[in-house]
Amino acid sequence: MKTTRKQSMKSVMVLTAVTLSALLVIPLVNLADAATGEKEYIKVRNEVWNLFFRMTTAAFVVGAVVSGTIIWLVWRFRESHPKNKNPTRWETGEEVH
Amino acid sequence: MGHDTAEWVYVGVICGILAWVGVDSWYIEKLVDDVPKDAEVIKVTAQQWFWTFEHQDGTKEVGQLHLKKGQPYKFEITSKDVNHAFNMPDWVIMQDAVPGRINKAWFVPDQVGEFPIQCREYCGLLHYNMRGTLYIEDNK
Repeated sequence: MKTTRKQSMKSVMVLTAVTLSALLVIPLVNLADAATGEKEYIKVRNEVWNLFFRMTTAAFVVGAVVSGTIIWLVWRFRESHPKNKNPTRWETGEEVH
Repeated sequence: MGHDTAEWVYVGVICGILAWVGVDSWYIEKLVDDVPKDAEVIKVTAQQWFWTFEHQDGTKEVGQLHLKKGQPYKFEITSKDVNHAFNMPDWVIMQDAVPGRINKAWFVPDQVGEFPIQCREYCGLLHYNMRGTLYIEDNK
């Protein structure tokens, strides 16, 4: 069965929602675990390094998404792309409704 | 689904990640700033070009610091002359030592051993040699 554009957009949105929830839930679960038990102190160096690695992951994800989008845009809308063989109605001066 | 859905998803993802970065960083900062109530205070004084440590019972150490494993410590850091920075790289502790100001930092050593203490703010000719040693001993 062929996947429609609408279905693939839906799966992108679901995947995004799952990723963002995981990013939020995992550290909260870890913190909840760390908070239990008496005379338990947080380990500052672990917290700081874990934060650093999570932030690095977020930075690389944003970098990949943004640069990936730019690369795709340049590739898709180049003049030689097969889908750009015929001029669009905006280019031909036809009336746009 | 409108033609601009993909753009809104894109904007949503980026905003979501940035919001998460802000909230998570703020939460960890709050957690790390929260000094345990039973922390023993160590007064750290920097001056060109050595460190002095004063324990809660009044004993002083110069260039070396002896602490117990498993005990929380709060450092009250100041300087007598110029700006310095109290740094224990193995414990991810770095705090400026500024004349007329008391900055704080805290940690709980969870492993015995010898660890370097250093100045991390250029403070003059012998800055490179403004070092100390942290000795963490078993709490028995």
